[in-house]
Amino acid sequence: MYRYDAYDQAFVDERVAQYRDQTARYVRGELSEAEFLQLRLRNGLYIQRLAPMLRVAVPYGTLSSTQLRMLAHIARHYDRGYGHLSTRQNVQFNWPDLEEVPDILAELATVQMHAIQTSGSCIRNVTTDEFAGVAADEVVDARPYCELIRQWSTAHPEFDWLPRKFKIAVNGAAHDRAAIAVHDIGLQVKRGAGGEVLVDVYVGGGLGRTPVIAELIRTDLPEAHLLTYLEAILRVYNRYGRRDNKYKARIKILVRAMGADSFRAKVDAEWEHGRDGAQTLTREEITRVAGHFQPPAYEPLTDQPDVLGDARLADVDFDRFVRRNVRAHRMPGYACVVLSTKQTGIAPGDVTDTQMEQVADWADRFGHGEVRISHEQNFVLPDVRQRDLPALFAEARSAGLGATNLGLLSNIICCPGGDYCSLANAKSIPVAEAIQRRFEDVDYQFDLGDLDINISGCMNACGHHHVGNIGILGVDKKGEEFYQVSLGGHSGHSGNEAALGEIVGPSFARAEVTEAISRILDTYVDNRVEDESFLHCFRRIGIAPFKERVYANAD
Amino acid sequence: MPTLIKDGAIAADSWATSAETEDGQRPLLPPDTWRATEGGAALLLDGDAEPHDDFAHAPLIAIHFPEFKDGRGLSLATLLRTRHGFTGDLRAIGDVQPDLVHYLMRCGFTSFVLPDGRDTAVALRSVNVHRHYYQGSVTDPTPLFRSVARG
Repeated sequence: MYRYDAYDQAFVDERVAQYRDQTARYVRGELSEAEFLQLRLRNGLYIQRLAPMLRVAVPYGTLSSTQLRMLAHIARHYDRGYGHLSTRQNVQFNWPDLEEVPDILAELATVQMHAIQTSGSCIRNVTTDEFAGVAADEVVDARPYCELIRQWSTAHPEFDWLPRKFKIAVNGAAHDRAAIAVHDIGLQVKRGAGGEVLVDVYVGGGLGRTPVIAELIRTDLPEAHLLTYLEAILRVYNRYGRRDNKYKARIKILVRAMGADSFRAKVDAEWEHGRDGAQTLTREEITRVAGHFQPPAYEPLTDQPDVLGDARLADVDFDRFVRRNVRAHRMPGYACVVLSTKQTGIAPGDVTDTQMEQVADWADRFGHGEVRISHEQNFVLPDVRQRDLPALFAEARSAGLGATNLGLLSNIICCPGGDYCSLANAKSIPVAEAIQRRFEDVDYQFDLGDLDINISGCMNACGHHHVGNIGILGVDKKGEEFYQVSLGGHSGHSGNEAALGEIVGPSFARAEVTEAISRILDTYVDNRVEDESFLHCFRRIGIAPFKERVYANAD
Repeated sequence: MPTLIKDGAIAADSWATSAETEDGQRPLLPPDTWRATEGGAALLLDGDAEPHDDFAHAPLIAIHFPEFKDGRGLSLATLLRTRHGFTGDLRAIGDVQPDLVHYLMRCGFTSFVLPDGRDTAVALRSVNVHRHYYQGSVTDPTPLFRSVARG
């Protein structure tokens, strides 16, 4: 993974000193609320419903065990003993003291971490496939490109005060696990005929109150031009994006208003000026950054179907773990393991200080000291020897991280919602819990198979409800919490094209949500053909049968 | 009194500090008026103005920031410097925030007018917050990866 050099370290240290000064001036009354707001947002600090919330950047979801132990320390020392894994692969703390935040940032800087640009109208943390570098279906490792973009976008002189937040995702695998179709910019890195790296550029996707699938505006961009091309897009957006209405300020609105072809023409005209400029990536720089992502020293192993087969026969839970939570690794004898945070009764994505330390220990003992955070709010151990899987599972299970529900109903993506977030219209965590309780039968979940349920507490869509096979959105109706349900959404993974969900009909009171979900699932079970997934069934039969059943009179 | 800071120090000159011209000040003129005026006048632009080559003849261009968080003036400044040949004094006026001065300077501003109540010392200090930046800028077009040996 990427290790700071003296320049990286100096930058974050200077940033901590600057923010410490800004905090002190605010506390002394020398900085107005409006000024401090913008400065603290660009250092990760929101003021939420109950307390400040600090969002720590986990660049493209990659952490070392040392960094994870630091997060555990911060959870214990500055917070209430837990943290939250976000849908953008970051870690959030819900209870820091505003005046202690500079100390937290200083501690983070000692392990090469920061909270720069994790909020505010600027270029946010770049995200990618949680299996980048180890996935069996990888074509190009996306991480070096993410790191190049991270550096380029950090305190960019021209693009830190955009009309609205700006999210870039990069995918380098055959299957898109980075959801590039629903980002402000989505980048698909791939190989050309001669083995060279090329980039397809998608612009203007996003969720929020106006969900849009991104437009492909450039194909086969040579990697050297990545940053100059991004600059051209950002300049067009910074100059022409709307600033009069925050709900119309995202780049997707600009792309739609201009039309994809006009937008592309504008970007290309801009790019003609910057193309081949100083920001053009050199072979040396790409090689230098890629050098930080060289594979660890893998042991020469072979796949272990027999060992695993015996263990799977002996323990049905381990069998389920292997089926759902273990993914193919590109090296024989190794596996990628997803440790689910989705335990009934625990807010999705919440992990305790102790769990963070346990995961860090497993990363050291069973892997090469590296941990990932997935956009599904789970931990990933990217390099586990297959023969260690039974031992890892036993420990994960006793640590409360052994749920065997990856891709199943109970692996719900869920924003913090009205319990924590001041933007939310409705609570989301209790809805997730009610669904997990109603359908806790694991056999039933396995029978249902692949099913993404995503819950957002408001139309900002942090829970990605538009791309859930079943999406649930909290809405406010005259001061009461209601929930709108949509069907058929998909973020684009597993070879399925990204799609936005279709609203099933009038919204439900909180107490009615699980019954509605139950009827939706019954409709699927009654209509599915053989092994057809929920998504494929929905695409075949359409929304009508679901709608009819959900709103049928209980009699 | 608003404070003019130029080339990293408190300064004084006779240009107006906003669209309003007070006694004894030379005005800042919007493009149409500026073009109709004999040489030597200063130009006043909003952040959403389109830059033009003839602007290079102005001795001073002031870009108005309606809110400090409105970054359009940063792109406009960059374009005036890198594409339209402007080499005169480029001045930020309006809602200039002292902690953001380093962004202004790196986009090619050479002076700015700090409104009343904003901390001059912070603005002067802001220029030197970071010794190095990753990306190129108007003042230093060479990105870090081209200018130093990195680890």
